[in-house]
Amino acid sequence: MDGCRSGVPTYEGDLHVVAAAHHIVKALGATKNLSDDLRKILIDLDSHLSMITSNIDSKGGRGLVDVEERLDQAERKIMRWETDPMMIWDSGPKEASDYLEAVDETGKLVDGLRGLSVHENRKQKEILHRAMNIFQTAMSRLEEELIHILVRHGQQFEPKNMYSRSIRKDIVYDESFVSVEDEPTKETSSQNCSNDESGECIVDLVHADVIPDIKSIAKVMFTSNYGPEFCEAFISVQKEALEQYFSFLGTEYLSIEDVLKMEWTCLSSKMNKWTWSMKIIVRVYLASEKQLCDQVLGGLGSVSSYCFLEISKATILCLLNFGEAVAMGPHRPEKLLRLLDMYETLADLLRDIDTLFSEEAGSFIQLQFHELLERLGESAIAAFKAFRVAISSNGSLYPFAGGGVHPLNKYVMNYIRMFPEYWNTLNLLLKNQHPGVADQVTKPDYGPDTSLLTSCPMAYHLRSITSCLESNLHKKSQLYKDEALQHIFLMNNIHYLVQKVKGSELRLFFGDEWIRKHNAMFQQHAMNYERATWSSVVSFLKDNNPGSSSMSKSTFKERCKGFSIAFEEVYKTQTSWSIPDPQLREDLRISTSLKVVLAYRTFLGRNLAYTDDKCVKHTVEHVENLLLDLFGGSSRSLRNSRRW
Amino acid sequence: MPRNLFRCWIRVRGVTLPLFSLAFNLSKNLPTKMTGTDQSSFLGRISIRRNQVNAMEGYHEQEIEDLELFQKQLSDRFAELLSAPDDAPTEAFLSISWIRKLVDVFLCCETECKAILLMERDAAQISKPPLDRLIPELLERVVKAMDICNAVTNGLELVRHCQKLAEIAVSALEQKPFGEGQARRAKKALVSLMSAMHVDDKESSVQKTAERSWSFGRRSGNKDRHHGHYRSLSWQVAKHWSASKQIHAMTMNLAAPRGPEASCLPAPVYILSLIIVFVMWVLIAAIPCQERSGLTTHLPINKHVNWTHSLASIHDKIGEEWKKKEKKGMAGLLYEMQKMEKLGQSLIEFTDSYQFPGEKEKLDEVAAQVAELAEVCRRMDEGLVPLQMLIREAFHRLVRNRTEFLDVLEQGGPVV
Repeated sequence: MDGCRSGVPTYEGDLHVVAAAHHIVKALGATKNLSDDLRKILIDLDSHLSMITSNIDSKGGRGLVDVEERLDQAERKIMRWETDPMMIWDSGPKEASDYLEAVDETGKLVDGLRGLSVHENRKQKEILHRAMNIFQTAMSRLEEELIHILVRHGQQFEPKNMYSRSIRKDIVYDESFVSVEDEPTKETSSQNCSNDESGECIVDLVHADVIPDIKSIAKVMFTSNYGPEFCEAFISVQKEALEQYFSFLGTEYLSIEDVLKMEWTCLSSKMNKWTWSMKIIVRVYLASEKQLCDQVLGGLGSVSSYCFLEISKATILCLLNFGEAVAMGPHRPEKLLRLLDMYETLADLLRDIDTLFSEEAGSFIQLQFHELLERLGESAIAAFKAFRVAISSNGSLYPFAGGGVHPLNKYVMNYIRMFPEYWNTLNLLLKNQHPGVADQVTKPDYGPDTSLLTSCPMAYHLRSITSCLESNLHKKSQLYKDEALQHIFLMNNIHYLVQKVKGSELRLFFGDEWIRKHNAMFQQHAMNYERATWSSVVSFLKDNNPGSSSMSKSTFKERCKGFSIAFEEVYKTQTSWSIPDPQLREDLRISTSLKVVLAYRTFLGRNLAYTDDKCVKHTVEHVENLLLDLFGGSSRSLRNSRRW
Repeated sequence: MPRNLFRCWIRVRGVTLPLFSLAFNLSKNLPTKMTGTDQSSFLGRISIRRNQVNAMEGYHEQEIEDLELFQKQLSDRFAELLSAPDDAPTEAFLSISWIRKLVDVFLCCETECKAILLMERDAAQISKPPLDRLIPELLERVVKAMDICNAVTNGLELVRHCQKLAEIAVSALEQKPFGEGQARRAKKALVSLMSAMHVDDKESSVQKTAERSWSFGRRSGNKDRHHGHYRSLSWQVAKHWSASKQIHAMTMNLAAPRGPEASCLPAPVYILSLIIVFVMWVLIAAIPCQERSGLTTHLPINKHVNWTHSLASIHDKIGEEWKKKEKKGMAGLLYEMQKMEKLGQSLIEFTDSYQFPGEKEKLDEVAAQVAELAEVCRRMDEGLVPLQMLIREAFHRLVRNRTEFLDVLEQGGPVV
């Protein structure tokens, strides 16, 4: 022993070093393209190390006894847990680190013994065999512990406070186009969720305290070539956790066939839900999952991204398939806003997706996202077109009672009032539909430059939509036999149109010129109404001979009667007409009053001599008051009531 | 009607692209690595002929001839598929590469049929009887096929999981020296593999949740119950969705056109429908998929037409196989999975009784099996992801196919 003291290791630890070094040298020697010098050095080193090893082997009795003792110790530590119903990591950090130490020790012994087994040695083989057995037990146990830790410390987060469920868009617009009769119940649109949308939010899917534990298990398993087992276990648990979270969000699995057959209200809420879950899944859950994978498996090459992909692929595909199903469904106009929501969500998430799945294996997922985005865009444009077609082709057989604001008008205006919120997206999508106006819209800012806004593709399409609407309203007005009512109808509807434009961001897109023109339009209809209704009535009060001081009593009587009958007729019909806007109603009454009451007062004033006669059925005040009853929406009659 | 067709084709030939470039356009949106292998040559021949015909007379005859040529191509492709060996290291019947070829045939056929049906046609032509019934039926099938594609894509995840488990077993079995520890390691992976393979396709999330309770409680005393590799198999198509019912519904009204219809537009509709149903049926039989029990083994294939001979034989062959294996509850007829199951079973037996150091003879025998299993894993590793992508491509193709038909029907305008 003395002679070669320096060359003979006395500790098993040294023994491992020698064995390991020998391994490395052998491996290096096997490399191709080595320079001759280097190869020679390696060969020398190899023979030197072999010598040392054989030295130990020959004197190895003592060494093996040490090894055996150490193995016994490790075995006790490892095997005692096999009968213990407790999980190791639950029992405390000391237990866990003791266990890992024992595993480490066993691993070293296995490696050392393997490195030594150059020559046949029964005893040595036996120990190695035992060590490997123990080692397998430990690895299997670690896998179980891993699963237990992941499940036990897996954390679900409440999605409630995140991306406050899209209330951005009025619920009322879930109405399908065919149900245009419905009055919007809620006119305001709240914008309370756009603020927190950009912020990334990473949560701990597994409690932060146990991350080091998982990492230590990963380290041991990977260095011992049990990496695949670790991955499969890790993927299994995390994949299932994601699926559970998916259903926790209330997202259902739906076949494409189901989606295509779905009723609109149901589909609409599912689309909403999709938009919401997609954001949470990608931006919160997957971002967090990615972080977890990186924390646990970072530094192991592509393992982390492989696991991440395996965990998330199925759920992502499921979400994408719903999108595909929606995009391929019938292009109904009411789908437009929901489709735009989906489109914007996806467009918004693309960057996240590209980061999450940046590795080559994930490019498949990336591609699927990009394809779906394209498809949703196409679908949105198709729905947009369908919207216009639906407006043009919305037909009525009967005139709309009372001449008020037509439900089609309400639906369309309330619907397009939401468009400015989708300004950028709509412009982007519509740009290709209208290459002519494309150049002006590339600027993405929503600045105060209104002249730019009125010439963007969306503005163009908005105006074309309202002009479709206007011509349809004209068509509908033709259903009234009464010309005056035609004008009331058009006045009401154009007034409504203008009010909706003025009262929202739409005004920026329609522009002052449009508003001026349409203001003039409904005023013209008001005037036309007055002419159509009152000219003939007031004509009774006209003095045919302005020169003479007064008319004959019989003429007066006749005129009075004529006026009363005509007035009562107007009263009877036009009390049932409706002008829903109080201001407009007021304005029209005042202007009517001015015309009628003034004429009546003058008429009576000129013929004061006859006014006490019974033939004057209505006083000026009566007439003035009666005019207030017009356009109230419910028919009244003077003949029967005899109130005056 | 034939006269109209003539004019249509004259117009086609005079103005528009040859069919081949149409096919190219239709598939260019997809990355080329996803697309199948020999589509171009398959279609190329027909389109070249069509171009040559430009200057010729007798267009209706030409169209019939084209259809016949197309059927001949199909017949050849199916004959080739039928001729695949039952058991071979590569290209075996129902192997991954075989299925990729089959899906390729579908993609080609889809392109060709669509071209025949839609190119330069308008709604009037494809919305009169009997097409007004046949086309909507075709589109129904297309939708069902999309769901099947998704179910199968999902099922391939399970196959991949099996592959990973088999790889673990292989790496354990390849260890030298091979001790009992490694035998246990291999066995554990193989047992997980077997249970993953035999997951009943009816067991969905309900079962899964019950299974999960293990992880919350304390360890059970039963050491053999390792759940480590238990991979949840969420079917993810939809609740109560059933692959076999879908196939059944797809076969409704699937009848070959007769008489004069057999050489007109109903013919490509039938061809496309039959190919879709057939390919989906094979996919379901081969790859794990939600609810396959009661999968019909009878498809209404008209055996009196020349081109369906090989297809019918393939159908009979798979149908027989399905009947044999269905009761056992299995992962599917995919060649690699079958192979894996057989090898896995035998290796479990070996690991069960293994005692270090083992007999030399037995070890050599096992080494051969391990090598075979490693080879299966390698083929899965090469083929599964591309297959998954190919099926996804088929899905996208079906989506586009449907859109294009609807566009023609709704807008009444010609495609392209």
